[in-house]
Amino acid sequence: MRVNHGDLILLFRRPSSAERQPREYARRQRLLRIGLGTAVPVALVVLWQIASTRGWIDSRLYPSPSRLVGEARDLESQGKLWPNLWATTRRILVGFALGATAGVLVGMVMGVFDTLRWAFEPLLNALYTVPKLALLPLFLTVFKYGEAPIYALILTTVFFFVWISTLEAMLSVPEGYREAVLSLKRSRWQLFRHALLPASLPQIFVGLRITAGVSVLVVLGVEFIYGGSGIGYLIIQGKTLFIPKQMYVAIVVAALLGIACIGVVDIARRLAIPWAGRDRSRSRG
Amino acid sequence: MSNSAAEDEPTTVEPRVQARGVERSFGSGTDTVHALGPIDFDIADGEFACIVGPSGCGKSTFLRAVAGLIRPSAGEIVIQHSDPSRVPLAMVFQDYGIFPWKTVEANVRFGLQVSGVRKAEAKARAKEWISRIGLSDFSDRYPAALSGGMRQRVAIARAMALEPELLLMDEPFAALDAQRRELLQDELLQICQADRRTVLFVTHSLEEALILGDRVVVMSARPGRILRSVDVPFERPRSTELRSTPEFAALKGELWDLLRGEVTVGGAA
Repeated sequence: MRVNHGDLILLFRRPSSAERQPREYARRQRLLRIGLGTAVPVALVVLWQIASTRGWIDSRLYPSPSRLVGEARDLESQGKLWPNLWATTRRILVGFALGATAGVLVGMVMGVFDTLRWAFEPLLNALYTVPKLALLPLFLTVFKYGEAPIYALILTTVFFFVWISTLEAMLSVPEGYREAVLSLKRSRWQLFRHALLPASLPQIFVGLRITAGVSVLVVLGVEFIYGGSGIGYLIIQGKTLFIPKQMYVAIVVAALLGIACIGVVDIARRLAIPWAGRDRSRSRG
Repeated sequence: MSNSAAEDEPTTVEPRVQARGVERSFGSGTDTVHALGPIDFDIADGEFACIVGPSGCGKSTFLRAVAGLIRPSAGEIVIQHSDPSRVPLAMVFQDYGIFPWKTVEANVRFGLQVSGVRKAEAKARAKEWISRIGLSDFSDRYPAALSGGMRQRVAIARAMALEPELLLMDEPFAALDAQRRELLQDELLQICQADRRTVLFVTHSLEEALILGDRVVVMSARPGRILRSVDVPFERPRSTELRSTPEFAALKGELWDLLRGEVTVGGAA
């Protein structure tokens, strides 16, 4: 706060409501955070609904949210919603679990053993740049048909994302933490257990969070091309058979699935590293 | 608005900084930590005031409240800003104050830049201060190439180049080794004696406070309160040789007795 008295300006440092009633303030901030987070998407949906019913947009091409809800019920009664949602979810679960485990393990081993890193990093870097979706024909040849090629593709995608973020996290562990262990015991295992692993976990979870979103993207991409089942299949079927409502329902379901996947990673993060707290922007939000 | 309108306002005051009943707590509910106060504290214009206290006594919290980085939980701090063409205050941090991605010159110029000083003038003032701290040869280097002492000199030059009405220093020499500390104390003495500044200086070193300050305020363990405020009797200009005189030792001993109780009461804190 500033107050002018002629030439003299006074700067005041006074408590605001945040300091006078910290509890009340924290509660209000929380409400505001949740309220805004909910209000923005709700407002968009409402706007969409109004635009559709008022005829601002062509409701045959862009059906209103209320009609999408009806369509979702139809899809469900036709037995198309849950089996396809489960097909996509299962692919993500299997592909992500295997890919992330492999990525974290390989990243960690390469973070601990320099020689292994020197041996394999250039190769993996080269493979990392190959667009994974381009490998689908190869996987189809190798694994013939069924779910295996899809799993393989998601696994590969997830692996590279997780591997690279794990390795970077391991390499950026501050020297001070390493030395605190090595000064007491020159053991790679102790170094890993007490310093490298815990220090790199927050960064690894950032990688997992990004990858969870990417894996939904990839699984939909595969289902567009191949599969005959899944949310991606519903989308592309809606497009080709000109059932825009089905397409939009599937898009919304895909978005919700993405949110759920990221939510699962966030819960795992909170359980795995309770000491890390949340990042500044979100704790302040 | 005329100056007479200010008379019925209790806020127009002589001192550069006037703190009344300042308190600060952190957290809420059962986790509340009462870190500071209540304290009353004035800093006169042109005064070099030092706050000494055990770690965790809230001395940095007070400084940050003066800087406006946090607000007090109770009470009020009023800072006079008498010349609108100048910056009201600048702060020197213990660490992380200077940016590794800027050269020495760009770091010193940064404060001037964000305060809206024209580029040509900012460059000239940055250059002058870099030479005053003896880093002209390092002007285009990045902080990574400098020693800890050199970096802290850059931090001081950045604040001084702004010519703020109030200079806040938060344990600026704490991370340095004893020899560098002494050298930098000497340099800061020279700078502040050459052109008088209002300074609020926080330190945990009694010796540092007594060498630099016109007044030394000793704070208690948490929640920090003012135990005693001493006008430092030594003539200026001073130099760091002051510390070998018996008067210095006597005053230091007297204040140390006061502080010792607090450090042990404060326990691990």
